[in-house]
Amino acid sequence: MATDLMSNGNRPSAEDIAARRKVIEVDRLDFAFGARQVLFDISLDVREGEIMVVMGGSGSGKTTLLRHLVGLMPPQPGKVKLLDKDMGALNRRQLLDLKRRIGVAFQFGALFSSLTVAENVKLPLRELTDLEERTMDIMANMKLEVCNLSGFGHLMPADLSGGMMKRASIARAIVMDPKLVFLDEPSSGLDPAVSSALDDLILKLRDAMDISVVVVSHDIESAFKIADRITILDKGRILISDRVDAVRNSPNERVQNLLHRRSEQIDVDPTEYLRRLAGD
Amino acid sequence: MANPAKFFEQIGRRTASGLDEMGYATVLFFEAIYWTLTGWRQRQPVRIAATFAAMVEIGVAALPIATLLAATIGLMLAIQSLYSLGIFGAEQYAFIGIALSVVREFSPMIMGILIAGRSGSAIAARLATMNINQEIDALQVMGINPNRFLVAPVLIALVVMMPCLAMWANIVSILAAGLYVSAELNQSFGAYLNDTLDVLKVDDVWHGLGKAGLFGIIIALVGVVNGSMVKGGAEGVGRVTTRSVVLSVTLIVVADMIFAYLTTR
Ligand SMILES: Nc1ncnc2c1ncn2[C@@H]1O[C@H](COP(=O)(O)OP(=O)(O)OP(=O)(O)O)[C@@H](O)[C@H]1O
Ligand SMILES: [Mg+2]
Repeated sequence: MATDLMSNGNRPSAEDIAARRKVIEVDRLDFAFGARQVLFDISLDVREGEIMVVMGGSGSGKTTLLRHLVGLMPPQPGKVKLLDKDMGALNRRQLLDLKRRIGVAFQFGALFSSLTVAENVKLPLRELTDLEERTMDIMANMKLEVCNLSGFGHLMPADLSGGMMKRASIARAIVMDPKLVFLDEPSSGLDPAVSSALDDLILKLRDAMDISVVVVSHDIESAFKIADRITILDKGRILISDRVDAVRNSPNERVQNLLHRRSEQIDVDPTEYLRRLAGD
Repeated sequence: MANPAKFFEQIGRRTASGLDEMGYATVLFFEAIYWTLTGWRQRQPVRIAATFAAMVEIGVAALPIATLLAATIGLMLAIQSLYSLGIFGAEQYAFIGIALSVVREFSPMIMGILIAGRSGSAIAARLATMNINQEIDALQVMGINPNRFLVAPVLIALVVMMPCLAMWANIVSILAAGLYVSAELNQSFGAYLNDTLDVLKVDDVWHGLGKAGLFGIIIALVGVVNGSMVKGGAEGVGRVTTRSVVLSVTLIVVADMIFAYLTTR
C-alpha cells in the first residue's frame, strides 16, 4: 500500500489511542517570564506510541512548553507528569532515571562541536552506562544507520548539512532507546524534499521502536502527515488539541486562519522585543 | 546624570546582579567539589581524561609564554633593584628583594594575569558558545550534569596548574635575575643562588603558591559564570569573553592586595 502524501499509514484509530496509557500528562500549567505570562492553563496528554504535533504562531509558547516537558523549566503552578512520574516531585536520582528514558533533539541540533558525529551519538552511552566501547560502537552505529547517517560518523558537526545535522541530533536522542522523544522544529530551515524525508524518519521511529513523539513544528503539511493528534497554541493558550481530521475540519475560525496561513499577523510586543535585543 | 533616581536604580541593579553572580559562583564552586568527591559513587565521575586534557591545555601549553614572561620579570626586577639599591650602595642585597618579590608577589600575579587572558577567556568563550548552541540544555536533558562534565575538570586543572606555573615562574625569574645580578656585580652565580635560598623561607613559597591556587579558582569561576550569562549570539560571546578577562584580572589584583596587606602586618 502506498502511503499517500497527506496521511500517516499506521495512524492508530481514535478508540485505539484512547485505550492506551498516558505517557505525558500536563495539568493546568502556567508560566511567566517575569511579568510576561507566556503559558496559560495548559492541560494536555500524550498517549503511548502517539505522535503529537504542537503548532502555533511565532511566540505562541511552543518552545517554552517543550522546555517544560523535558524538565528544563520547573513548572510554576501546574504539574508535568512523564511516564507516570511527577517531575516536580522527583529527587535527583529519580530525575536522572527519568531522563535516561527520554530523548530530545533541539532546533539547531545542539551537537557538541568538539566531538565527531559518532562521539556525539555515543555520549549518553559513555556518560550514563557502563557499556564496553565495542557495544557502544555497535549501538551508536545502529542508530546512525536508522537515521541514514551510516558512514558519516567520523565527520565533525560543522561538516554536516542542515538535514544531516537534524538527523544526527535525532540519532543522539534515540541512542538510549527512550520511551519518549521530543523534537523541536525538525523541519525548519530544510527544503521540502529533505523535510519530507525527515517526516518519514519520524514515522519509522515510532513504528519500529514504539516510542511516543512530541514534535514542535511550524510546518502544516508535515504535521498533517505525521501527527496522530495536533495541539495548536495561540498566545500561550491551547486553541485546540485533537485528532488530525478534527483539527483540519474545525469550524473554529482562528484554527482555519492558522492552517491556511491567513492573517500572518505577528504578535511581537516591540518594546519587549527591543529589550531582549539589548540583552536586558 | 540627568535623573538621579535612575542613577541610583542603576547602581542598585548592578549591585544586585553582582551579588547574584557571586552567589552563582559560590554554588558552582561547591557543586564542582561535590561532584569531584561523590560523582564516582553516582556512576557519574569527573573524567580524568577531560581533567588531564584541561591541564595540558591550561598549563603545559602555556609554558613557553610563561617562561618568557617570568624571565622578563626576573630581569626587570634585577635591573630595578640594582638601580634603586645602588643609590645607597647596597647592591649586594638585591637578591633579598628579588627573591621575596618574585616568590610572594610577581610569580602568582603574573601567571594569574597570563592565564586569565589565555584560559579564562577560552573557558568563557567555550561555555558561552555551548550555551547559545543549546549544548548545555542538551547535556541537562540527557541527565549529564554540566557542572560535573564541564566545570569540575576546568576548576581542578586550574587549581593544580596555577601553582605549578607559579613554581616554574619562581625558578625562571630567580635564575634570570641571578644571571644579570651576578654579571653586573662580578659575583659568582652560585653565591647568588645560595644567598637566595638562604633568605627564602618555605612559608614564602607556600604563600605564593597558595595565592596562585586561589587565582586559579577565581579564573575558573569568573570564566564559567560569564560563559553562562551570555545573551545574544556571537557578539554576546565576544562580550562575555572580554568581561571575564577584565573581571578576573581585577579580582586577582584586588585579592593580591588584600593578601599582601593581611600577611605582612
Ligand atoms: N528568555 C526569555 N525571556 C523573556 N521572554 C521570553 C524568553 N523566551 C521567550 N520569551 C517570550 O515568550 C513567548 C513564547 O516564546 P517561545 O519561544 O516559547 O515561542 P515559540 O512558540 O517557540 O516561538 P517560535 O515559533 O518563534 O520559536 C514569546 O513571546 C517570547 O517573547
Ligand atoms: Mg520556538
